[in-house]
Amino acid sequence: MTPRLSGTGLSKIYGNLLALRDADIRVMPGEVRALIGSNGAGKSTLVKVLTGAITPTSGTVEIDGERAPLGDTREMIRRGVACIYQHANLAPSMSVLDNIFLGRQPTRRLGFVDTKRQRREAEELLQRHAIELDLDAAVGDLPTVKQKEVEIMKALALDARVILMDEPTGWLASSEVAKLHNTIQALKARGLGIIYISHVLDEIFAVCDTLTIMRDGAVIAESAVAETDRPRVVQLMVGERLARESAQAALQKRHPRGTGETRLSARNLSKKGVFEDITLDLYAGEILCITGLIGSKRTELVRTLFGSDRFDAGTLEVDGHAVSFAAPRGAIAKGIGFVPEDRHRDGLMLDMTVTENLAMATLDSYRRGVLLNRSKIAGAGEKAIKSLSIQPPEGARPVKLLSGGNQQKVLVGKWLSRAPRILILDEPTVGVDVGAKAEIYRILRHEREIGAAVLIVSSDIEEVMTIADRIAVMVSGRIVAVHDADAVSRDEIIREIGGALQ
Amino acid sequence: MHVRRATIALIVFFALTISLFSLVAPRFATTSNMENLMGGFSFIAILAMGEAFPILTRGIDLSIGAIVALVGMVVFDLSLIFHVPGYVILAVALAVGALAGALNGLLIVGLRLQPFIATLATLATYRGVVYAISGRQLVPGLTTTPIADPWITGLETYFDIGGALGTDDFLPLPWFPLSFFVMLAMLAVLSVFLLRTKVGRDIYAVGGNAEAARLAGINTGRIILLAYALSGLCAAVAALLLVARLTTATEALGFGMELSAIAAAVIGGVSLSGGVGSVFGPALGAFLLGAVLLGLTLLGISQYVQQIITGLILLAAVGYDRFLLIRRQRRLAANVA
Repeated sequence: MTPRLSGTGLSKIYGNLLALRDADIRVMPGEVRALIGSNGAGKSTLVKVLTGAITPTSGTVEIDGERAPLGDTREMIRRGVACIYQHANLAPSMSVLDNIFLGRQPTRRLGFVDTKRQRREAEELLQRHAIELDLDAAVGDLPTVKQKEVEIMKALALDARVILMDEPTGWLASSEVAKLHNTIQALKARGLGIIYISHVLDEIFAVCDTLTIMRDGAVIAESAVAETDRPRVVQLMVGERLARESAQAALQKRHPRGTGETRLSARNLSKKGVFEDITLDLYAGEILCITGLIGSKRTELVRTLFGSDRFDAGTLEVDGHAVSFAAPRGAIAKGIGFVPEDRHRDGLMLDMTVTENLAMATLDSYRRGVLLNRSKIAGAGEKAIKSLSIQPPEGARPVKLLSGGNQQKVLVGKWLSRAPRILILDEPTVGVDVGAKAEIYRILRHEREIGAAVLIVSSDIEEVMTIADRIAVMVSGRIVAVHDADAVSRDEIIREIGGALQ
Repeated sequence: MHVRRATIALIVFFALTISLFSLVAPRFATTSNMENLMGGFSFIAILAMGEAFPILTRGIDLSIGAIVALVGMVVFDLSLIFHVPGYVILAVALAVGALAGALNGLLIVGLRLQPFIATLATLATYRGVVYAISGRQLVPGLTTTPIADPWITGLETYFDIGGALGTDDFLPLPWFPLSFFVMLAMLAVLSVFLLRTKVGRDIYAVGGNAEAARLAGINTGRIILLAYALSGLCAAVAALLLVARLTTATEALGFGMELSAIAAAVIGGVSLSGGVGSVFGPALGAFLLGAVLLGLTLLGISQYVQQIITGLILLAAVGYDRFLLIRRQRRLAANVA
C-alpha cells in the first residue's frame, strides 16, 4: 500500500541552529500516527515543512506516492494536506462560514462566491460530523472551544487526505476531547491519514495506532502503540543522557526555602482573565521553578512580578515591603533582574556588541559625571565574559553572531553585574545546546550560593527536575501545587501539569 | 445579508446630524445646500471607498491626494498640450491612478516596507512628478485656458430629477450631480466585489489574520497589491470629477485630501487594525463629514476652526476604533481563561 504521506530525509537549518535533522515520517491510509517529543524537539518545524509553511533545507515529501513541491502551502492544500494549528489560525472578525472556506470559496463565473453552495456544503459537513456551530457568528465572539471546532471543520471541508493536528486538545474539556477522538475514528475509517501531536500520553494511548518520537530535531524511535508502554515512551522522549544527568542532579544538594529569608511574596495575586489567586513565596538562596503547559499563563505571571504588566487584585511584597510596580524600572530598583522568553525580541540588542549588552542594565554605575567611562565598561565586560565563559571571548563582537547558548549567557550576565537580589528567568534554555545548558545551570547555581533568590519558568520537565529546589505547577492561570524538589517524582509533576486536560 | 450594528448606528447618527443642522443652521435644509453636499463630497466619498481597501488589509494609503494631483495633471497635459481625444484621456487617467496605486502595493509587498512609510514616500514623489510634468510650467500660456473637452466637462452635469418626475410642486428635489451617481455606481460595484467575490473575501482574510490567510493558500502579496491599485483607481475617478468641476488642474489639486478620506473611512467603521469594514460606511462617513463642515460654514464658523473640528472628529473616530479593539482582545482573553 502507498503511504498517504511520506517525508524522507527532512532537514531545516536556521542560522546556526539545526532545527530538524534528517527526519523521516510516514502515515498510511487509516493510520493515526502520534508525533511526540519535548519542547524544541523539532515537531513544529516538521509540521511546518509538511504543510509547506517553510521550505526545508533538504529532503522530500510524497503524497499518495507523488512527489510534492516544498514550501508551497497552496499546493499542499490542493494535494489534500490540512493542518489544525496549535494557535488558532482564524480571522476573528469574519464569520464561521467565511473562516471554514478561507481562501478557497467555491466560485461561479467572474469570481463570484457561490454562497448557496458554500452554506449547503458547510451544513452537510456539520450534520455529518454532528458538530453544532452558528455559521453566521463572528469567530472572535465564540469561546475558544468552539473556535477549535471551526478549525476542525476547516480541515474537514478541505476533503483532506492527510490531517496534521498540532496539540488539538489544548484548552478542550474532557467531553470535547472524547468528541474529537470520535471524529478522528470516523476520519480514520474513511481512509485518511492523521498525524497527531500531543504532550498528553493518555490521549496518544487512546487514539493513536503508531508513534514517532523526536528529540533534538531528529526522529529517534518509531513503534506501534500496542507494542510499547508509557515508561518506555517517556524514557525515549527525554533520552538516556538526560535520564543519567537528572540522576546526577538528584545527588546535588537541594536547598528548599534557601536561607529562610523571604525575598518575594505574592498573596492572592490576580489579573482578570489571565491568572487568579496566586500565592507564592520566594526565598533567598533557592531556585524555584514554575512549570506547566504553554498557555498556563506562567509568562504573564512573571512579567507582572517584574512590573512589566499590572495586576488587579492581591498584594506583592519584596523584602517585606508592599510594592506595586508601574514599570520595570521600579522592579529593577528593588534588585529584580528579568531574562525574558524571547531573547531576540525582548532581551538583546542584536546589532550591539557583547560588552554593550552586558553593560545595558548597569550603565549608571559606569558614569563619570554625565559621560560614561568606556574603559571601565570594557573592563567589567571582560571580567563577565570570563566568568560566564562566553565563546568566543571577544567583547567587541556583535551579539547576533553568537550561538543561542552564548547569547543567553550574555542576557543572564547583563543582570549578574548588578548582583540581583531576585533573578527571574523565562524559559532560559530554549534553543540552547547541551553544553551551554549545563553552563547556564552552573551560573544559576552559583547565584543561588551567593544568596540570590532565583525564579525560573520552564516547560522542560527534565530541566525542572535538574535544577529546582522547589517546583510550583501552574495550570490555567492558577498555581495548583508547590513541592520540595527532592520529595516529588517526575511522574507526579507530569500528572499535575496535565491535570486540567484529563 | 446581515447588517452590522455599527452600520445602523452610523445611519442613525447621520440622520441626527442632518436634523440638528436643519434646525439650527439657516438655509441648511435647502435644495441648493443638498446640491453642495452631493457635488462637493461625492468625490471624497469615492476616495474614502478606495482608502477602505488598504485599511482593510491592515495598511494605509497616504498618497491618494498626490495621486489625485498626478492624474489631474496628466489630464491637463493630454487635453491642452497634446489635444488627445477625451475618451482616450479617461482611460489613460484611470490607468495612471491604478498604476500609481499598484506601485505603492509593490513597494509594500516587494520591499516589505511599512505601508505608512511607503505611501508617505510616494506622496512626496508623486507631488514632485506633478511639478515636473506640469503643463502650467511647461507652457505658461495655457494657465488660463480651461479644459473644454466634452468627455471631461460632461462629468460635471446636473440632473433635474424633480422636474422630470414632476414632483417639484409638492416636494422640491435638488438637482443631482453626475458625480453622485458615479459614486453610487462605484458603491454598488465595490460592495458586491467585497461581499460576494472570492477576491473580496480574501481581502478581509488578509486583514483579519495574515498568517491564517497565507496558510490557507491565499496569495497575500497579490491581494495587498490589488488593494492599493483599487485605492489608486478610486483616486483617479475622484481626480476626473474634480478636474471636470474646475475645468483645469493645479499642482495643489487634492492637497490634504488623504486625511479627509481616512477620517471618512474610519468614521464609516473601517477598523485600522484590519479585516473589519465595508465601502458603504466610508461613503456615508464622507457625507457625514461634509454635512458637519457645510453646517458649520452656514453657522458662520471660520475655516481654521473647521480644520480643528475635522481633526477632533478623526481623533474621536480613531480613539473609538482602538477602544473596540481593546475590548475585543479583553473578551478573547476572558474566553481563554
